[in-house]
Amino acid sequence: MQMSRDLVGGLGTSIIGAVYYYYASQLRVSALDDSFGPSGLPKTYGVIMIVLGLAIAADSLLRARRDRAAGLAAQPQWAGQGQKMLRAAGLLCIGIAYLLLVNWAGYAISIALLLMATALYRGAPPSWRVIAVSVGGAAALWGIFVLLLGVSMPSGLLLPG
Amino acid sequence: METILLSLQSLGDMSIILAAIIGVAWGIMGGAMPGISPSITMALLLPFTYTMEPSAAIVLLASTYVGAEYGGSVPAILIRTPGTNAAAATVIDGYEMNKQGKAGEALGISLYSGVLGSLFGLVMLVLLSKPLAEVALAFTPPAYFALGVLGLSVIATLSGDSIFKGMAAATLGLMVATIGTDPVTGGNRFTFGSSDLLSGIEPVMVMVGLFAMSELLVQAADRTKGDRVTSRPRISFPNFAMAKRLFVPQTIGASIGTFEGCMPGAGGTIASFMAYNEARRWSPNRDQFGKGAPEGIAAPEAANNAVAETALVPLLSFGIPGSNSTAILLGGFLIHGIVPGPMLFERSGDVVYGLYGGLLVAAVSLLFIGMAMLPICIWMVNRPRPWLSAFIFALIMSGIYSIHNSLFDLSIMMAAGVIGFLMRMLKFPFLPAVLGLVLGYLVESNFRRSLVLSGDDYSIFLTDKVSLGLLVLAAVFIFGSLGKRLVDLLRRPAPAPHTGDSA
Repeated sequence: MQMSRDLVGGLGTSIIGAVYYYYASQLRVSALDDSFGPSGLPKTYGVIMIVLGLAIAADSLLRARRDRAAGLAAQPQWAGQGQKMLRAAGLLCIGIAYLLLVNWAGYAISIALLLMATALYRGAPPSWRVIAVSVGGAAALWGIFVLLLGVSMPSGLLLPG
Repeated sequence: METILLSLQSLGDMSIILAAIIGVAWGIMGGAMPGISPSITMALLLPFTYTMEPSAAIVLLASTYVGAEYGGSVPAILIRTPGTNAAAATVIDGYEMNKQGKAGEALGISLYSGVLGSLFGLVMLVLLSKPLAEVALAFTPPAYFALGVLGLSVIATLSGDSIFKGMAAATLGLMVATIGTDPVTGGNRFTFGSSDLLSGIEPVMVMVGLFAMSELLVQAADRTKGDRVTSRPRISFPNFAMAKRLFVPQTIGASIGTFEGCMPGAGGTIASFMAYNEARRWSPNRDQFGKGAPEGIAAPEAANNAVAETALVPLLSFGIPGSNSTAILLGGFLIHGIVPGPMLFERSGDVVYGLYGGLLVAAVSLLFIGMAMLPICIWMVNRPRPWLSAFIFALIMSGIYSIHNSLFDLSIMMAAGVIGFLMRMLKFPFLPAVLGLVLGYLVESNFRRSLVLSGDDYSIFLTDKVSLGLLVLAAVFIFGSLGKRLVDLLRRPAPAPHTGDSA
């Protein structure tokens, strides 16, 4: 049987609650703390999260059971989701690459590369126009943030100073 | 009267007028782009407000909201794609009018009704906010705790289609709010040795991540191509006879918008559809609805623009944002160290009056900027989506970095984006999570302060009358929603299978 999105969401919620509760229970208690202490509410939140996760999962199972009893076929809820997640992960990788690059290459170059990579990744046809718009866009953003707003963007190791 | 005079006085500050005009223009552009909601349009501006004066910064964000509500109707009328959720009701008759060659007239009705809705909403905002805040001035720590619980339970029960998911999202926000320094003892919690986490996670990073970054991830995942606007309409305003015909639906829309705006969790989309239905019910031309009735545009547009103003009532009076857009606005307040709520009018009255004045400029200038921006909106809607994504991504990355010059902030924002993407996929609402994060401090500090005051006697939450009233109300929302869910389960033969796909 394939797990529904609600079931996955419910179980994920409970797991997050359990992990959080574990770390909340590890918080150091001091003699100077108030009676409820710094771990009091976090532990409560953890328990609430676990219970809510189980409620979401149970609700999902109940609905699936009722659907089956009513003769409704289960709808494929995950069709194409793997590919969607991979495509989203690709964009995230561009962001991570920017994070790794910006201190070394500097803001202007990195943001131009981010613009170019994102546009190409999202389906812009490769051409000289992509390079031109990326460089122009990076120059405009550099002008707004560095010159106009006075933000100290990373200058990078390539073009120090 | 004093409020009106102080608000008008604030218009002597050019920065407020400028912020209102820029905000409206930016809002119209953002709202006009399908997939870019008012909250995303506002979130993109948040980092820029750090360097601004508080009044101008808040006016910039609030005016963006006003502009975006109108902007959403442009693609709704021209390409049958609402730029914002609240403009979905405008599609029905707006697009029909476009097909009949009356696109300019439809856009004119939308703009004119939006301006009237905004002005009506502004009057109600001014009339309602301060008296409500004065009531809240009598609040004690237990009452503040109860207010936080009530705000969370209202949003959790009204956002999304599952009360459990809404409450789980709110709890997630509360959990994130515990990261950093403990509000009572000053000890570290969940920092895992990272000095970057000592001051906690700022709501602005989470908001931009949840709203804007997750939208980029969803768009990257979907790869759908948007429609193009092929016509070049010119806005034409209604003549006197038409204006007279639109008066009733506009009044209905503005009244419903006012009510829904004041109700946390309701928002512009519900208001628009309710206004559309009520306008049809009371209209002598009800047969024309769905076939290009001007009333079908006037009512929802007046409603969603009234919501843009009255949604600020719970935010300004109680510090509780009732919608995604007002949550972003709350972020704008917090950036400048201003906490909305009962004390706002005492401590930062100048900001509130500046906001009122700025909103007046925004509502009036909407009429002119809306006309001037139409060709730009059409140009923007027709831009290739890959470049739109690329520039939004670059703007987010640059904007978030500029807040503290920190790459760690970018990591937090991107992590929030991933969480937002997963929440969309699993159909968890965002707003309760943002509200939990924002109200986490208020809830915890006042809960523990109350216990210290009472000597660990939990009955303090029941002996304080305001606290008791608010907690009872919260219980009504939670158990009412649970009861409704139970009744639905028992009564309905079988629910429609879940096929929605938001991620």
